[in-house]
Amino acid sequence: MRVCPWADRLAPPAAIQLLQGNTMRTSLLLLFAAGAALAQTQGSPPQPGGYAGSNACKTCHANIWMNFYKNPHFKSIASGKESPEHTGCEGCHGPAQSHIAAHGGKNTIPRAFSLMTPDQALETCLGCHAKDLSRANIRHSPHTLNGVACTSCHSIHHSPTPKYLLAKQQNEMCYGCHTQVRAQFSMPHKHRVDEGFMQCTDCHNPHGSFDATWSMGQRPRMMQQAPGTDEPCLKCHIDKRGPFVFEHAPVRVEGCETCHSPHGSMNAKLLRRPVVFTVCLECHTGADDFGTRNNGVPLQTSKHNLLDPKYQKCVTCHVMIHGSNSDPYFLR
Amino acid sequence: MMKTIPILLAATGALLAQQTVAPTTEQTGSPRGQDTGAYNITDSVEFGYRWSLVNGDPGEYRSDVNYRNGLRVLAAAFSMTSKDGHGRYFDQIVLNTTGLGNDPYQSATLRVEKNGLYRYDMNWRLNDYYNPGLTIAGGLHLLDTVHRLQDHELLLLPQSHYHLRIGYSRNTQDGPALTTAQQFDANGVGLPVFENVQRRWNEYRVGGDIDFAGFKLTLMRRWDFYTETPVYTGLGVVSGPSIGVASDPTVLNTFSRSAPQHGRNPGWMGNLLANHKRWAVNARASYMHGYNDFSLGEMATGISRFGGAANRQILVSGSGDRPYAAGDLTLSLYPTSRLTLVNTTSVNSMRIDGPSSYTEIANGINFGASLYFRYLGVRRVLNSSDADLRLTRWLGVYGGYHYTDRLVTTVEDFSLPAIPDSSTGASYANSNTLRSGTFGIRLRPLKALTANFGGEIGRADNPLTPISGRNYHAIDGRIDYRTRSLRLSAAYKQFYNLNAPVSFTAFSSHSRDYSASASWSPRDWFSLDAAYMKLHLDTMSGINYFAGTGFRPNQESALSYYVSNVHAANLGMRIDIRRRADLYFGYSITKDTGGNRVGFDPNTTLAGAILTAVQAFPLTYQSPLARLSVRITPKLRWNAGYQFYGYNEEFHIFSYDQNFNANTGYTSLLWTF
Repeated sequence: MRVCPWADRLAPPAAIQLLQGNTMRTSLLLLFAAGAALAQTQGSPPQPGGYAGSNACKTCHANIWMNFYKNPHFKSIASGKESPEHTGCEGCHGPAQSHIAAHGGKNTIPRAFSLMTPDQALETCLGCHAKDLSRANIRHSPHTLNGVACTSCHSIHHSPTPKYLLAKQQNEMCYGCHTQVRAQFSMPHKHRVDEGFMQCTDCHNPHGSFDATWSMGQRPRMMQQAPGTDEPCLKCHIDKRGPFVFEHAPVRVEGCETCHSPHGSMNAKLLRRPVVFTVCLECHTGADDFGTRNNGVPLQTSKHNLLDPKYQKCVTCHVMIHGSNSDPYFLR
Repeated sequence: MMKTIPILLAATGALLAQQTVAPTTEQTGSPRGQDTGAYNITDSVEFGYRWSLVNGDPGEYRSDVNYRNGLRVLAAAFSMTSKDGHGRYFDQIVLNTTGLGNDPYQSATLRVEKNGLYRYDMNWRLNDYYNPGLTIAGGLHLLDTVHRLQDHELLLLPQSHYHLRIGYSRNTQDGPALTTAQQFDANGVGLPVFENVQRRWNEYRVGGDIDFAGFKLTLMRRWDFYTETPVYTGLGVVSGPSIGVASDPTVLNTFSRSAPQHGRNPGWMGNLLANHKRWAVNARASYMHGYNDFSLGEMATGISRFGGAANRQILVSGSGDRPYAAGDLTLSLYPTSRLTLVNTTSVNSMRIDGPSSYTEIANGINFGASLYFRYLGVRRVLNSSDADLRLTRWLGVYGGYHYTDRLVTTVEDFSLPAIPDSSTGASYANSNTLRSGTFGIRLRPLKALTANFGGEIGRADNPLTPISGRNYHAIDGRIDYRTRSLRLSAAYKQFYNLNAPVSFTAFSSHSRDYSASASWSPRDWFSLDAAYMKLHLDTMSGINYFAGTGFRPNQESALSYYVSNVHAANLGMRIDIRRRADLYFGYSITKDTGGNRVGFDPNTTLAGAILTAVQAFPLTYQSPLARLSVRITPKLRWNAGYQFYGYNEEFHIFSYDQNFNANTGYTSLLWTF
């Protein structure tokens, strides 16, 4: 379909060069828009609902169109089967005829994302993406509640990432808001996110998730659960999964973060304390009604003389502290 | 200009994320690639040499950093895209790799897709994992393993109303390790033995999605299989006092242990989802039944802690079961375009049980089998109601009430089959209820300015452990100012938990995080990124322990404090010199100043002195880096970088100096073709 009388004569690079000229840009945009509008009204059959088709858009927005075939949203054009409201530029931005008739301008775009509120952007994207399982809980996710919309993290036309159209590399984007997490991943002992071995989404679902099946309440939040709704830690740390005959109850009931700081720690093994015996002793007090028996988490026996270095390194003997099949005290 | 924007975005975004000096984040060649027939191709590869010089503790260096000398493909990127979306066999191939060849962290991701027909995703990763385990076992534990993970996912008919999914994942861990084995009785010492780690996990998935009547139904069937076949050996004489009291004469002359286990976890998951203008529903149900069959055979000879010759043989066998069911139902209502009401109900039930038969033959005496049966059941019901109201374009509020009820039941049965009526057993139940409320407000007074404030308060009646949440509140706030070239952000977060009353003291935990960050890109040749964070944590808990110099230690109580004051900062600056060369300077530091030890309640007992020594763990970890990337031709760049790592503990509480400093660097060629 020939949309603009000049469009075929201007090879894309030439058009770009012209667009780079500040003095020429406004007038050219107007001319392209006018030409597109003219062509739309004269050369193309009118489409219902004010849709003009993506060919009309590329006349003025050649810089976006040029690489749009690499964009996942190009599938809607390539398929040729989608209805106008689900096809190409107008699939997201809405019918373009009024925009063309007005010779451009953000305010004439039915859905200009830079002018939209976060919830409007969310609703627009969910028009197609609502039925994806990973986004099933997006409407009440902490991100949505705090006004973090799709366009806060995704850049549809200028994404530097090979997948998911992210606005930045994933960890940098998350660090942008979660600054304290950046500090945790800069600690000497950490999961290898900055090194590229892991990504935040290995453990978290930024679109929201069902509540964690371990611990109480809704903490921790936005967790990407492992198969079988386990903690995501068990996706990699397969040896901790069990089932063990002798489970260390807090590991299974409250989660790994009972003893570990999952992002990073100044302490080895991502432990919450610099030495292991304080980690253990803070729970194993024998006091009150804590523990599975409601009479205190068991106090160690009297042979555990804290003055003996042997008993300051609990897992020297209790080597299977995450769970054991052979020994109720996790000795083997 | 239009051409450079994506390049700048890519380079800047990657730069700021980069905490390791290589691979180079600067790009070369045209991001638009080259047209070949009906496809467009982009391709680049960075090949170089990485080096490192380490002073100090090599174990800690390998645990924290682990870059070593050698040639490697630091990064590679390839894409091939159909220009009209109608490729014959595929429409897009995207391949990205990092660190292949020699880096301790390697990865490769691949996507191949044909519009409307299939999409295949692959993710492969390798982690050369090293951990000296000094903290937990005095250096007697060590892992030097290679961890490999891979995921494959094939989606058929991705754009239709019904999809078929097929997936496969594999996770392996192999390598030498050191661990400890306690000999020759229950009071013996843990002695070092060698372990050959061999872990295998394979998962197979098949499922599909169907769109019908405004609903989407997803069904997934999965099976996974786990095998672990560790072999432990100890040859030669290993004496006990290496860790422990000097008077313990335990000696291990020979040791062997084999402990294979085979597990499988078949399961299924179903999800029903509908999203309409005024309402939405999301329901999930999953069930998995895990099995784990195991046996253990152990033989040790040596000298016992009483000085006599000793030998011990242990035989264990049994199995573990874990049926696990979970269900969630979320109902959402949108009475107006500004109001969202969501109610979620979740139910989980996990039951872990199994027998274990333990037989010990010590010094030729067979003590017979001991039979254990253990059960751990966790049943949890959660209901939450949340409301989100957008009052105006610049003001929104939200709040919610959450209720959780959890029942943990345990059974501890034990019997000696050789002795009539020796069976004992007991069952227990721990019930805990948590009620919590959340609230928040979000403001957007200007287009570039956003502010969010929120909080949560929770009350639990019977938490499982002394450090679990009982009476807690959380407060957080964030202010963001964003323009095209400038971003300023400040945030505060606080969490306070008081677990009281307990009989001799309360547990309290108080964390306060402060952060401020700025990103500034005034020109396309300059960008600056800076952040400062302070993470404060102080905890106080009462502990009970035994200590003494006599024959039998006495029970003592004390307060255990822990104070951590982490000051963290990072700075990144990128300068593009006449589009010919790129310079990047970065610096990151995390410094735990600990607490003021003088301010603590001094413990005057011998054990108290040990506790005082671990109330804080001040250390500094810093890493400055610099990188130069020079464009030699439009398709070729030469790169060189240097990064320093410094780890400095202020107090050597492990009686061992783990400090190190490392000079690392690389040089490479980045070629686009």
